[in-house]
Amino acid sequence: MGKFSGFRITIAQVFKPKVTGDYPNSKRPKPERFHGRHVLNRYEDGMEKCIGCELCAGVCPANCIYVRGADNPPDSPVSPGERYGFVYEINYLRCIHCDLCVEACPTEAITETKLFEFSFTNRQDAIYTKSELVVDDQGRAQRQPWELWLGDEDDQTSGWMRATASAGQAEFEGKVGWSGELGVGVRAAEPSQDKTRTAIAPTSEPEEVALG
Amino acid sequence: MSSVPISQWPSEYKYSAPVAGDTEMVNVTIDGVEVQAPRGELLIKVAQDYGTYIPRFCYHERMKPVGMCRMCLVEVEGMRGLQISCATPVVEGMVVTTQSPDVKEAQDGVLEFLLINHPLDCPVCDRGGECPLQDQTLAFGPGESRFVEEKRHFEKPIPISDLVLLDRERCIQCGRCTRFAAEVAGDPLIDFGGRGSSTEVITYPGAPFSSYFSGNVVQICPVGALTARSYRFKARPWDLSAVETSCQSCSVGCRGVLDSASNRLVRFLGVDSEPVNHGWLCDKGRYGYEWVHAKDRLNIPLVARGGGLVPESWPQALELATSVIRDVFDKHGAKAIGVLGGAQGTNEDAYAWARLAKGVIGTDNVDAQLGDGLPAEVVIGMERATIADLDSARAIVLLGPDLKEELPVLYLRVRRAAVDLGVPLVDIGASNTGLTPYAQAVLRHLPGDPEAVTEKLAAALAGQPTRPDELRPLLEAIDKRALIQKEGPVVVVLGRSSVAEAADATVRAAAILAQAGISAKFLSALPTANVHGALDLGLAPGFLPGRVTLAAGRDELAKTWARVPEEQGLGAAKILANAAGGEIKLLVLLNCDPIADFPDGQLAKDALKNVEHVISLNSFTNESMRHADVVFPITVWGEQRGSISNIEGRVARLGRKITPDGSTMEPWRIATELAARLGHEMDLESFTEVQDEIAQVAPAFVGVDSKLISWARDGAVLPVADHAAEITLALSSLDQNKRSAGVSWEPIPTSGEDTPGNGAVPPAVISPPRPAQALYSWAKQAPERTAALADSYSLRLVASRTLYGNDLITTQSPSLARLATVTAQLRVNERERDRLGVADGEVVRVISSRSSIELPLVVDPSVPERVALVAINRDAPGASDLVDINESVTDLRIETLSKPVIKES
Repeated sequence: MGKFSGFRITIAQVFKPKVTGDYPNSKRPKPERFHGRHVLNRYEDGMEKCIGCELCAGVCPANCIYVRGADNPPDSPVSPGERYGFVYEINYLRCIHCDLCVEACPTEAITETKLFEFSFTNRQDAIYTKSELVVDDQGRAQRQPWELWLGDEDDQTSGWMRATASAGQAEFEGKVGWSGELGVGVRAAEPSQDKTRTAIAPTSEPEEVALG
Repeated sequence: MSSVPISQWPSEYKYSAPVAGDTEMVNVTIDGVEVQAPRGELLIKVAQDYGTYIPRFCYHERMKPVGMCRMCLVEVEGMRGLQISCATPVVEGMVVTTQSPDVKEAQDGVLEFLLINHPLDCPVCDRGGECPLQDQTLAFGPGESRFVEEKRHFEKPIPISDLVLLDRERCIQCGRCTRFAAEVAGDPLIDFGGRGSSTEVITYPGAPFSSYFSGNVVQICPVGALTARSYRFKARPWDLSAVETSCQSCSVGCRGVLDSASNRLVRFLGVDSEPVNHGWLCDKGRYGYEWVHAKDRLNIPLVARGGGLVPESWPQALELATSVIRDVFDKHGAKAIGVLGGAQGTNEDAYAWARLAKGVIGTDNVDAQLGDGLPAEVVIGMERATIADLDSARAIVLLGPDLKEELPVLYLRVRRAAVDLGVPLVDIGASNTGLTPYAQAVLRHLPGDPEAVTEKLAAALAGQPTRPDELRPLLEAIDKRALIQKEGPVVVVLGRSSVAEAADATVRAAAILAQAGISAKFLSALPTANVHGALDLGLAPGFLPGRVTLAAGRDELAKTWARVPEEQGLGAAKILANAAGGEIKLLVLLNCDPIADFPDGQLAKDALKNVEHVISLNSFTNESMRHADVVFPITVWGEQRGSISNIEGRVARLGRKITPDGSTMEPWRIATELAARLGHEMDLESFTEVQDEIAQVAPAFVGVDSKLISWARDGAVLPVADHAAEITLALSSLDQNKRSAGVSWEPIPTSGEDTPGNGAVPPAVISPPRPAQALYSWAKQAPERTAALADSYSLRLVASRTLYGNDLITTQSPSLARLATVTAQLRVNERERDRLGVADGEVVRVISSRSSIELPLVVDPSVPERVALVAINRDAPGASDLVDINESVTDLRIETLSKPVIKES
C-alpha cells in the first residue's frame, strides 16, 4: 500500500455509520431535563402564570433574576390572584442554568427550553425582559433573532418538565400534578418508573429536527 | 415586679413593668434547668429570657396576655392539663416542660387547626418569608394537614384605613391588632365581629381605623392579614437589607429598622427600645420615609444667575458661597451674618456648623429654633427627666403641646404610665389634648396665662393642707399611688402649646413648679427632630457645644477653635428683625424655611426680601430660598450616618441605608469645605472624627465618642456621668443573651475597632459644668404676665400643630399626603359660632393686630370658650399671617362676610 498505509484507519471509518450530525442545520435530541433558555408560561386562558413572588430571584445562586411584583389591575388582570410579575428580567451573562428557579417556582411559571444557542453582540440583549421571556399567544417560546431555533424544538418546555414532578410516588402514578398551559392544554401524566408501562407523554423518543 | 396582687385569671391580669427595689425572685425549673425569675412574671417571658422559645401568636411582650391562640401550651407539674404559658405567672418551685410528647401533640393540633382556614398564598403575601405562622409551622407544626375541605373565603384585601389593608382570609384571630388599638393606642376602632369560623376583624360602620398608630398593627400581625399599603408588593424579605436607626420625624427619636431594596427605602419598622419607644412608631414616622424619594428632591447645587436659580457644580457653588461670606465679613463684620435652623440635621451637622459660624466666622447670631421653641438657656439648664422617668413618676404634669399631635410615641408612653401604671396625670392647657381623657386633673386657662392654675397645682403637690375641689381626684390618685410608689419625681412635660403666644408664660409656669419643692423634673416637648442636639451643640445664641455658655466654655474651646464670639448674639426673632431692618446682610438657612416655619410669617417674608445675601442648605426648594445666592442640596435621613439627640438628650446612632441620587453632601461636610475655603482647616474627614471631636471639646458630651455611639444599643443620655449605670448595662448586654431587655437586636459591627470592655464604663466620665439654674433666672427677667383679653368680642388664638400638615415629610410622602389637611381652618366651639351667627364651614374674616385674612370656620367641641384654634402647620393664609412675634398673645376679632339671614316669620 505504501504511501496509503497511513490512511488505513481513516478509510475504514468512511464505511462505518456516521455519528456526527449536520449541526447547525439539524440538532440532536437533548435529554429530557436539559436546561436551556427560560420561558415564562401562561395558563390556557392566556393569563400569565408568574405571580411575581420572587422565589426564583431569591433562590438564584448567580443572582441573575430580577423580579418586582405589582397589584393586578382589577379590570384586566395579568395573572390570577392579587399580584403579578410586573418586572421580570434574567441576565444570561450570569445565568448558570442550574434550574433552581424552576424548582422554586410555585406556579410552574418559569421553565427552561432546550435552547442554548444564543449569542449577543451587546450586554443589553443578554438581559431578557418579560416581553421576551413570556410565551406567545400560541404558548410557544418567542424566538429572538440571535437564537437558533429549529422546527418544534420548543415543544419540550413546560411545567411538567419540572425536576420535582411527583411521579416518584406510587400513589401519584398516572396523576397529573401540573396545570394546563396555553397552546398545549393539560399535558398527560409523566411516564411511570415501571418500564413495562408505555409513556403517554410526547417524550418517548425525540427525533432529530431539521432546519425548518 | 410590683407587689400588686396578680390574679390567676388572664382577663384580670394586669401587666406592669418590674419596679426596681420591689422584686421577689422565685425558683422555676424549665426543661430541667433551674432558673430565677421575678415572682409573677409570665412563664413564656421567663422561658424566653433563659433561651427557651415557646411558640406563640397572640402573646406580645408589650400587651396584656389573652391566651387566644393556644400555641404556647406547656406542661406544668401539678396542674391538670396543659397550660398556656403566656398567661401563667411563675411561682416558687414551678416545674415546666416545654417539649414533651403531649406538648408536641398540642402544638401540632393548634397549627393544623389554624391552617384549616389560613390560605396558602404565601408566595403573594407580603408577610411570606418573615411570617411567624410560616416559621412556627415549619418549626413546630405537623407537616401535613388532614383537612381537604374548601377554606373560607372573603373578599381579598379591604382597606380598614388609608394606610392599612386587611385580608380576612389570612387572619388567625390572635387579637394582637384589636388589643393594640384598645390597650396601647387608646383608639379602639377595630374589633372582632361574627362567630366561629366567620369571625373577622371589623371597623365600626362609617369609622375607618384612622389612628395615628395604625401602622403598628401591621408590624405585630403574626400573619399577613394586615398589610401596609405603602409596602404592598414592593419587595420580598430576601430583597431587603436593613440598618438600625432613629426616626427623625419628631424629637422622640424612636428606634427602628430601615429596610431598603435596590437602593430604595421601602419600609421602616419599630425596634423595641426599652427606654424610648417600646417598639411602637407613629404612622408619620413609619411611612414618612417616602419623602426621601420624592421626585422634587434637590440633587445639584443652585446659584442665582440671570434672575433665577440655575444648576452649578459643587466647586463653583462652594467658591461662590465662600466669596459671599468673605465679602459680608470684610465689609460689615461677623455680626452681619446670621445662621438659622439646623434642628433637622444630625449632631455632626450641628457641631460643624456651630464651629463654622462661631469658631471660624465668629458670629453668635445662630439659632436652631425658629421662634417655636423655648429659650435655649431653659432647655439646656433645666433638670431633665428621661422618658423612663414617666413610669416611676409620682405624677406627670402636661404643660405643653398636644403630645398626640406633636410627639405621638411620647403620647403612648405617657398614656401607658397613666393607664397601665397608674401614674396620676395633670393636664394644664388652653384646650383639650389627646391625653385629657386620662388626666385626673384638667386645669384650663386662657391662652398665655397658665401661671395661676400652675401656682395652685404646685401648692397642692407640695402638700398644702387644703385641697381645692378640682384637684381632689388628683391628690387622691397620688395618695393611692404612694402605696406602691412613694418616691419619684414629678415629671413635667414642658413645651409650647401654641406659637401664637410668647414662651414667657410657659417658662414662668415651669419655674413655679421647679421651685415648689416637689422634685420636679422636666421632659422637653420641643417637636423638631434634632432640636435638642442642635441646642446641645451650640446652635443657640450664647451657647457653645456641650451645654456651656460662651463665658464658661471660651477658654476650653479656644484650644481647638480659631475664635470664640465675644458677646452673646441674637435669637431667631431678632435675627429676622435685623435682616428685615438691614443690619444683618447674610442669612444662612440650615435646612429650614422661615417663611413657612416661623410663627410670624410677615416678619420672615420681610427679612428674606430685605436681606442682601442668602445661603440655603436644603433637600427641597422652598419659598425662603427664592432670593438665595447659593443653594446646596443636602443628604437626608437614611442617606447619612451620624447621631441625634432626642428629647431626653439621648445621643443615638443614625444609620445609612441608601446612596442618594444626584450629588448631595452632608451639611457637616459643607461646613468643613466652606471653612477650608475661608482659610481654616477643620481637619474633619468622617462623621466619626466629628463625633470624636465633639466628645473631646464639648463638656456634656465627654465620654460620648464614636465608639460609644456605635455600641450603646439605646444610645447614651447626656451627661453620661448621671447615666453611667444605664450605659454600662447597655454595653454589657451585648455579651449576654440572658435576660436581655429587648428583642432582635444585633450589635453593630465596627470596622475592626476594639470594642468597649465587658460592662466597662467609658473612660473619662466627668461631670460637665451645669449652667446655673437657668429656669429661675430666666423666669425672673421675663416680662410681666399677660393681660386679659382685649375686649369681650375678642377670641384668643391658639396656634398648635397637628401630626399631618404642610410639613415636608407629610406632603412629600404619598401615603401621608392624602391624610393631611393643608388649608387652615378657624376652629371654635359651638357657643362662639352661635355668637357669631355663622354656619359651619362658612368663610369669616379673621383680624389680628398683624393682618386680616379669610378662613373657613369649623365647629370643634374640644375648643374652650373665648379661644380660636388655627393649626400652625398649614399653607397660607393661616396662623402665621396672624401672629406678631413681638406680642405676648394674639387676640382675634372675627367678622362675618355674609349678610345676616333674617328669618321671615
